[in-house]
Amino acid sequence: MILVEHLTKQFRLSRQQRREMGEHFTGSTIDAVKDVSFTCTPGRIFTLLGPNGAGKTTTLRMIATMLKPTSGSITVAGFDTARNPVDVRQHVGFLTGNTGLYDRLTPDELVKYYADLHRLDPGTYRTRRDRLFTLLGIHEFASRRIGKLSSGMKQKVSIARTIIHDPDVVVFDEATAALDVVTSRSIIQLIRSCREQGKTVIFSTHRMGEVSLLSDDLAIIHRGRMIFSGTYREFQNQMQTSSVEDEFVRLVEVA
Amino acid sequence: MKTFLTIFKKEFTDTIRDRRTLFVMVIFPLLLFPILITVVTKIQSSQMRKAEEKVLRVGLITRGNAAGIRDMISRSGLRLVENIPQDSAEALLRRDSLDAIIAVAADFDREVAALKPGTVQVFFKTSDDYAIAKRRLTEIVKAYEKKLLADRLARLNLDQNFVDAIWIEEHDIASMKEMVGKTVGGFIPYLFVIFCFMGSMYPAIDLAAGEKERGTIETLLTAPVSRFQILLGKFGVVVLTGLLSAAISIVGLYLAVRTLSELPPDMMEALLGILDAKSIILVLSLLLPLTVFFAAFLLSLSFYAKSYKEAQSLISPLTIVVILPVAIGMIPGFELNSMTALIPVLNVSLATKEIIAGTIQPGLLAEVYLSLITLAAVSLYACTKWFEREETIFRGA
Repeated sequence: MILVEHLTKQFRLSRQQRREMGEHFTGSTIDAVKDVSFTCTPGRIFTLLGPNGAGKTTTLRMIATMLKPTSGSITVAGFDTARNPVDVRQHVGFLTGNTGLYDRLTPDELVKYYADLHRLDPGTYRTRRDRLFTLLGIHEFASRRIGKLSSGMKQKVSIARTIIHDPDVVVFDEATAALDVVTSRSIIQLIRSCREQGKTVIFSTHRMGEVSLLSDDLAIIHRGRMIFSGTYREFQNQMQTSSVEDEFVRLVEVA
Repeated sequence: MKTFLTIFKKEFTDTIRDRRTLFVMVIFPLLLFPILITVVTKIQSSQMRKAEEKVLRVGLITRGNAAGIRDMISRSGLRLVENIPQDSAEALLRRDSLDAIIAVAADFDREVAALKPGTVQVFFKTSDDYAIAKRRLTEIVKAYEKKLLADRLARLNLDQNFVDAIWIEEHDIASMKEMVGKTVGGFIPYLFVIFCFMGSMYPAIDLAAGEKERGTIETLLTAPVSRFQILLGKFGVVVLTGLLSAAISIVGLYLAVRTLSELPPDMMEALLGILDAKSIILVLSLLLPLTVFFAAFLLSLSFYAKSYKEAQSLISPLTIVVILPVAIGMIPGFELNSMTALIPVLNVSLATKEIIAGTIQPGLLAEVYLSLITLAAVSLYACTKWFEREETIFRGA
């Protein structure tokens, strides 16, 4: 379960960034996320949709405790992200579009590293590793250096790394953005399987096809503010245009 | 502790698998001394031999004076070129038609007969190989002078003691170890400090800026460990690689000295004396807090950089900043005292010189440790605070 309440994140701007904002901009900070609230429930997929720079990644990074909120609060699996960040991380799996792997390690070494960081006991680790490696077909390249693997293989390793500790909450930050169709499909399967296992799933995306394919709940974020929040069915019911994409563009333009 | 070891082990494995780091950390320091010493001594001795064996072409202008000098020059195997006009002597030397010229003054014999000094001019080019021409000709002229002086003393029925009013007996009580320590000792810490810095540099760039560039820092930050533990793991690896690099350079120096047969035996003995266990442990114990400072400083800069390339641009010029205080330590007469013992890097350089020479004072050594440990603690604290800043980790992200 993720509970986000009145979440705001301000970033201090450097002199160069202020210059880039133009002459009309006089402040020293910018609101990347402004008063955002939503709830992600277990066994459902929550989609965070928004154009580039909308604040999606900032929101997800705050959920994963990489960033601290300026105001508001986030509770993940019963733990407050500001007060108990290490406990939150114990329950979160985080996957980005960038595979974020160490090229000089082997898949075996990498997954073991993250299992050790999550303090998995050796028996549990071996069981989960064997199950995941079989499921994802990693065994055949488990001892090769990651730098020598194809992007599809890397993504499989990335998935194994994300869920080796069997997290209650899985965060996907534009996880399919830079992937080909075949590799994207493995991520979509993973998202669905997480839902089936009763995990809390939040994912951000640009791809409208994925929104209609996966979303149970949906939030649209633009310039740091929430412009829609509800179930996907509610979103469909209030649509004033013929497609999800057109409706998204309409809402962004109105905002 | 277990988490620290997990991170440390992974970072170390990752680091030693990087060929560039491996080269700078192991191969370069191990081979530098043997290659440097072998190549330099071989080239130098070969050039010196060549210069010594070279048949010098010596122009001689006597104007009918100094009858004996001609024979002395001929006997020493030099090729004499005579009948050179005085005004073209320098020009011949400049265009390498001659290696040196001896010009005896027109009144030489008359002056010598009057028991006055006769003038002999020796023309040479210092830019030539090791000024061998100057040395060999000066020896001949000195020998000729000795002969003339002996003739004079005989004529006046005087003993050699008549002109030697003082007999200087030199007693140098400095041991070979001290002499080598004060000379070579200035150069050795220079290399150790540089290796420490260079050995830390690439791992620091790779483990911080490299991690940001690859996007692995994001996933690492979502692991249930504190940022301090992450930093400590990386920090440990950077310190270890810096120290390993310096230690490997000591091994390289030892191998070079042991295997180099062309070094004079007393010099070799002195150099091996420098490399005794006590000196090495003392030097490494000085390098430890210094490497902690380097690691904290380099990691701070590297975490600030957005990319590997930016980190390299920020860090590379610092090599000069490190070299400067070490180079000052090499200046003769620059000693370790209560003031210089407080200046980081310079104090390591000066203290290493004293350790190698075996003349280090315990009080000053304690002051050096105090200065370095304080610096290491402050820099580690600052680095921790720096790493905890969101603006540092997600700068430009």
